Formats: sequence, structure tokens, C-alpha cells
Amino acid sequence: MTERATEHVTCLGCGCACDDIGVVVKHGRITQANNACALGAAWFGDGMVPAEIRVDGQAATLEKAIHKAATLLVRAKRPLVYIAGDVSCEAQREAVAIGDRLHAAVDSLAATAAAAVLAAQRRGRATATLGEIRRQADLVVFWAVDPSERYPRFTARYTGERRASRAVIGVDVGPSRGPRDSDLRVTIAPDDEVDALAIMRAIVAGRDLDAAERFESAVDLARRMMRARYAAIVADGEPSSAAADPDRAEALVALAQALNGPTRCALATLRAGGNRSGADAVLTWQTGFPFAVDFAGGTPAYRPARGARVLLAGGEIDAALVVGSPATLPEDVAEGLGGKSVAVVGPRASAATFGPGVAIDTGVAGIHECGTAFRMDDVPLPLRASLPGPPAALNVVRTIRERLGARTHE
Amino acid sequence: MSSPARLRIAGGTVYDPTNGVDGVVRDVCIEDGRIVAELPRDAQRLDAGGMVVMPGGVDIHSHIAGPSVNHARRLSPEEHAADAMPAPRLEDATLARSGTGGTVPTTFATGYRYAGLGYTTAMEAAVAPLGARHAHAELDDTPILDAGFFVLLGNDDYLLRQIAAGETARARDYAAWLLGVTRGYAIKIVNPGGVALWKSGGSDGTRNVTGLDDIVGSTSVTPRKILETLGAAANALALPHPVHVHSNNLGQPGNYATTLASMKALGGQRAHFTHLQFHSYGGERGKPWQSAARDVMEYVNAHPETSVDVGQVMFGPATTVTADSPVEHLLATSTGGGRKWVNVDIELESGCGIVPYVYKEKAAVAALQWAVGLELFLLAKDPWRVVLSTDHPNGGTFLSYPELIRLLMDRSYRDERLKAVNQKLLGGSALLDGLSREYTLQEIAIVTRAGPARLLGLTNKGHLGPGADADVTLYTSDADRAKMFATPRYVLKGGTVVVEEGQLRRAPAGQRLSVRPEYDTAVTKDLRRFFEQNATVSFANYGAEAVP
Repeated sequence: MTERATEHVTCLGCGCACDDIGVVVKHGRITQANNACALGAAWFGDGMVPAEIRVDGQAATLEKAIHKAATLLVRAKRPLVYIAGDVSCEAQREAVAIGDRLHAAVDSLAATAAAAVLAAQRRGRATATLGEIRRQADLVVFWAVDPSERYPRFTARYTGERRASRAVIGVDVGPSRGPRDSDLRVTIAPDDEVDALAIMRAIVAGRDLDAAERFESAVDLARRMMRARYAAIVADGEPSSAAADPDRAEALVALAQALNGPTRCALATLRAGGNRSGADAVLTWQTGFPFAVDFAGGTPAYRPARGARVLLAGGEIDAALVVGSPATLPEDVAEGLGGKSVAVVGPRASAATFGPGVAIDTGVAGIHECGTAFRMDDVPLPLRASLPGPPAALNVVRTIRERLGARTHE
Repeated sequence: MSSPARLRIAGGTVYDPTNGVDGVVRDVCIEDGRIVAELPRDAQRLDAGGMVVMPGGVDIHSHIAGPSVNHARRLSPEEHAADAMPAPRLEDATLARSGTGGTVPTTFATGYRYAGLGYTTAMEAAVAPLGARHAHAELDDTPILDAGFFVLLGNDDYLLRQIAAGETARARDYAAWLLGVTRGYAIKIVNPGGVALWKSGGSDGTRNVTGLDDIVGSTSVTPRKILETLGAAANALALPHPVHVHSNNLGQPGNYATTLASMKALGGQRAHFTHLQFHSYGGERGKPWQSAARDVMEYVNAHPETSVDVGQVMFGPATTVTADSPVEHLLATSTGGGRKWVNVDIELESGCGIVPYVYKEKAAVAALQWAVGLELFLLAKDPWRVVLSTDHPNGGTFLSYPELIRLLMDRSYRDERLKAVNQKLLGGSALLDGLSREYTLQEIAIVTRAGPARLLGLTNKGHLGPGADADVTLYTSDADRAKMFATPRYVLKGGTVVVEEGQLRRAPAGQRLSVRPEYDTAVTKDLRRFFEQNATVSFANYGAEAVP
């Protein structure tokens, strides 16, 4: 067998989670990822990943590494479990179980979209799964984002082909610009953004107001959206200084909700890849909270302002388990792990730059491992394995959990 | 106590309505997880003297797992923070999983707390097919309960197209295929046609249906046609549970007319109408509401093919979560706004709306809803077809079941509570006429166990005859029925003692309940084409089957 094709493969290169990828494997390497964008093609690569197991920088057996990982976690006074990218929900569930067992702090890549998540917790959401936007929207407003950069197939797959009955408006806020080929552009100064959203919402709610002249285009945009049959707003949930502004995130939700009075409206929040939306879902169903969960008191507590980044920077954490690819870690989290007693279980764990005490390379969920992942709109998708790889992350994490022994005392 | 392979529950007062046992002192024998007729004398005994013995509870309609429930969980971190649940210590001294409660508990808390009430089976009542994989993952993390889910149909594009084209047989094959690929248990219809209109956009007044003969897109598609098509499909496929219907116009004054019309549309065939309380109001828009429980229950009493669950409203916090998204928009905006509100339009299929809500006894509408639910229970002539539910967490959480049981069993307590609620809209309520009925323990056993099991077609559940699953609940009899039902003395699941005096002892995984009806596979060719043209998920990845 020299060539094998796997169809309907789900890509975790970004939150689009395109599940129409055809992966061709020749002589044990991926030679093609049909339908994948450049970002997706890079995510699949040639499918070759390291399969090293290291303890204190030295090659070790899996058994020894698991023992060492369990030992460092059990001995920790203030452990952290961090769910990084490219692992399945099945592995994430085991990771949270370890956090529960250890009374650890648990955080994940889902925290990168904290502003949007917190806004949704304060107000709720008016949203749709992406296919419904493609089906229904006659007006799509890209709010300070051009998906072609970080979500290359988003427009083609989820807001649909250009057609006469669908208008595309790009809102430019400072350097964050809407798509280049928008039918109409609206420019808003970064300092005016939250106010502009509030004014638009007031217009939608039917309030008469005297907006300053510089808000005229925003007022027009609001009126235009009210005339749509089904308007969609697409905004980026991932970090840039603007996306992290809680007021902005809340104002976007509020506008989308208000538009459901005069018409229908859905706000789509773009989220990055690696199955971070899965981590959000799993943590929510197991603990009630989507990220930054602290089990230190023996029950899940929500500490959105004291997530992994803050705990690490404050020197509170003495040991950590990272489940997932260390390359996907936010920079400040990776930095914070330096000098701590850390076990990493995930794709390319051995390449971690912060010198973990235990590194166990696993396959990549969706390339070497099956399982479940969530698209950015919380749609669950199966992951398919296109070729064999190192030990499965799920199995390694489960074995570590079992090795911790059942906690028998408070 | 330990959980041996053989166990004799000795000398309890047994309520097993399915087998005609009404408060008889007798032994219940268990071997290898099942009820057996007899055991050798030396088998281990559990002394149940003075205790009330019933089959494990069966919840026919509850929202416990899947995308909508998880959206609801995410929406209320403050509720979770106020109700943190430490990991219970099990009999072998290990700790189970921690979690949080509130009106939408985490998966582990859901399993433990249901078991703590003596419930061992529950049906998640509304899962969009697109979210089936998610719902299964949550149920995998919901211990103890044997569970399944109902699959949302009736606003889905493919079905409406088949109805428009008069393709009844294909609609049936599609429903069968869908139940199989999602590993679902029954067909759930929510506001047929109304959610599809809500999603198709436009302004108020055009984005919901108001009655059974409103047009949904194509002139040949109406709520009535949707009900008829799916009702007939469920019966033709001989599904263990018939169509499970959430009628149009939920929560609207005057909606009882629509409810009766829906029942009549499915007259002569098995059909289950859910959370009937929310569909039994008289009056009209802009005028005072009133109870129409008498009219609705009169119909149910006279039609043995019709079954219902009540969807009782209990005072206190709730989270309204439903696929009936236009209703949630109304709720979110009708009371001055300011409430948290979630809406998710689900591509090609369904919707999701969520609003956290508090039912206050001093609020006129909440008091009416409370009264209507109780009326339905008390006017029901055949408890086998009237199931106890709060539509958890919509009318209140499942933790309020013991209080509800007390309201049904204790007239003086009920009358006392009735005096405390807002009387403004209770004018037409049968409760004021002094409904004196008090449910017996046997009737409680029917509406919480035997009835729902029978209606779900779960032949091994809800009874204690030989061959049944050894799901058994033992209560210490107490005149305060709320207290009695809140803390069973023992709960056994499949013969294993899982709860002892309110303490979780073991937390085994539950079984999944699903169906896989036969169908003409020719439909999949057409479905594949439909998916390629319309869906954003590959046909091969749809549903909840394991992939290689």
C-alpha cells in the first residue's frame, strides 16, 4: 500500500473546521490535502510528527514518563492543567478530570476569546450556526475583520457565494479592516467604535437621537441593517487589542440582539483553531464554566480574571500538565511555564521551548487520532485519522489520570 | 451496603402498578442486575420493613444534555457559583466528580442528583440532529442515568421540502434514517413550522405561525401537514415512543384552541403532547389570561391514544430553554427587556432560545401557570397518560419533584399554598372550586415511573416484574411527602446500590437508549445530494456514528 486517501477529514487549522478535506498519503506521508486553504495545508503538513518521549530532556520509556508526570502532579501544591490545541474533546474530558482530581486550576485556549465569552455571559447571544447565515443572510457586515487572513475559507463556506441578493459591507476600524471587495465600506475611528455601536443600537431600538456628524455612516449602516431581511454581523473573537475590549464585545452582542426587533440578525464570532471551542464546551458541561476554572476549593470556581496567564505570572503555580500542542500556547502562558515543573502531553511536546520535565509526543487530533472537535459555532464534528502516529493523546492522558489514583481524602 | 449479584429486598411495601401491586408487603428479588421471581433463601437481604418500594423514576421530558443545554449552562455562571457541588465520596472511599448546580447543572451533578431523587432513567427532550454528537458526549459524562434523546424534526428544510412535494414515504424514510444516524430515541416536534418562519427572517408578525393551517413557505406546508406526516411516520415505523409534540403558540393566551386542534389532527393515533401546562390557557392577546385546563383535560381523558406530560411550573428560579426560538424572543422582549437572551438559529434544522426566568408566586401569570399545571394533574382520569414533569429546567428544576408530589398528595398543603399565590387570573381555575383529589402512592408511582416507561416503550423500566432492570427506589415513609421523596433510603440502579440516605455510594455509567428503525435506503442518495447543495457539514460526518 503506497497511496491512501481519506475523505471528509476535518481540519483544525482555524475555527472554520472545514470537514471536506481529502487527505492523500503516499509512502507514509501526506502529499495532498485537497480543498484545504494555505493555512489548512500547513496544519496538515506532511503528517510527520516527532514521536519522542523525554524525561528531564533524556529519552525515556512511555511508562517512565507517565509515572514521572503523575508523580510531579501529585506532589504539586498548586497545579495547573492547561488544555492547548490539537487534541480531541475526548482527551479534553480526561484533562478536566485530572484537574478535578488534583484540585488544580484548569484553563484552556478558549480563554483567548474571553471578551466575547464574558459578553455572552452578561447578555446572552443572538447567533446562528454558520450554515444558517449562508442560507438566510441578505446582508453580511464584516465588523473590522477580513476573514481571508486568519479564516481563509470562512467566506466561501459560511457566508456564501456573492450574489445579487446578498450585500456585503465592510466596517473599517483603524487598521482592522473589512474585506477588500465589500460592496460598501464604513469607516469608524477606533476611539468611536463602542459609541458607534451604542448609537446604532439606539437607532435600531427606535430612539430619536442627535448623533454627531462623524457617526453619520454608522447611523446609515444601522438603518440599512434594519431594512435587511436577515442581517449577519461577523466579528473576530480572537485577540487583538480591539477584540479584547469587553465593552466592544458587549456592544456587538447588544446590537445584534436589538436588530431582532425590526428584523432578524445573527452575530458570528470568529474563533481560532485547534479545537479550542471544544475545550470551552467540555469545561462548560463538566464544570459550568467555559474557561479559567479553579478546583482549588474542591469545587469548580470561575476565575475569569485569574486564568492561567495571571496565575503563572504571579508565581502561584508550581507544576503544570499541558494537554495539547505547546506550539499553540499563548506566548505569555508558554513563558510562564518556564522554570516550573511541567509535563506536556500532545503533538510535538518534545519541541516545547520552555523545557518541560516530561514531554510525551502524541499524534495530532484530526491527523493521527479520531475523536470529536467543535467548530467555532459550536457544531460538533468527527475527527478522522489519515495516518498512524505516535501514542494517542487520549490514551496517554487517561493513563496518567488512572495513575494518579483515586483521591481518597479532601 | 455492598451490591451483591443476588439481593432480596425484604419486607418492603411495594408499589408496582404495571404488575398490579398496590402497596403490598412483599420481597423484590434481584439477580445480575435484573428482577427475578425468586432467590435462594441464603441470598443477601436488604431489610425494607416499613419502607416504600417503587421502580426507579423515569423522566419522560427533561433538558439535560446537548448544545442548547450547554448554551444555557454557559449563560449562568452566577447560578453555578452559588451551588457548587464537591465531589461525592463513594463507598470505596474514592471521590466521584465535582460539579455545579443551579437550574442547569453540570453533567455529573445531573446524574448524581437525579439518582439522589430515585430517578434512574431520563430522556433529553430536544436535540437538533446537528448537535447529536455533542449530546451523546454529554450523556457519556452523565453517570447512573439510562438516557436517550428526542431528535428535533418539523422545522427542518429537508422534511418541509418532502411535504411540499407530497413525498410522504420519503419523509418517513428520512425520519427513520435520521433517528438511526443520530442514535436518537424518538421524534420531537417543536412549534411545527414556526421556527422555520422565525429563521427565514423578516419583521414581526411574519415570523411565527399562529395556527395549524398557516402557510410555511410552500402553500402545501402547514403545521397540520407537519404533524400528520411525522405522526404517521412514527406510527408506521413502530417507534417505541410516538411523536413527542410541543404544540404551536406555547405560552400564549388562548392557545388551548391550538392545542386541542393539534390533538385532533393526530386523533386516532398515538401521540404525546408535552408540557401541556404551557399550552392550556384561555383568554386572548391583550386580554386577561385564564385557565383552560378543564377543556384540554376533557379531551385527553376521552382519548386513550393521547398522552401528555404536564410541565408544571414551580415557584423559584428556572431557565427557559427551547427550540421554540420565537417564543424566547417574545419572553426576552415582552417584559421590558434587560433579560439575558440567547438565540441560535440552527442550519437547515431548528432553533434554540434561552431566557433565565424566575416564577414568583406574587406574579399573576406565574400563579396561573402553577394552578393550570395542578389542575391538569387533578383533573386527569387516567394517570397512565399524564406524566409528572416540570419540563426541567423550564418550569422549574427536577429537584422540585418532591415538592410537586406533596402538592398532589396533600390537599391541605395545596390549599394553603393556593391562598398565598396571586389570585388575579385564577378566576376560571378548577382549583378554586376545591378540587379535593389527593394522589395516592400508587398514582405517584404511575406518573413518575410506570406511566412514562410504558409511554416510552421501555419494557424493562418502570416496573418490578421478573426481567425488569433492577432499578429500584426505597423510601422511608413520611407524612411529609416532599421530605419522603427528596431523600430515598436506598436507590438501586441495575441492582447496584447507588444512593444510600442521600449519599452517593457508587456512580456507574448509564446505558444509552436509542432506536434504529428500518427504512428504504434509496432516500440516502437524495439526502447526499441535498447535503452537498445545502449543508456545511459533510454528509459522511453528519449524525453521531463513530468514524473509523
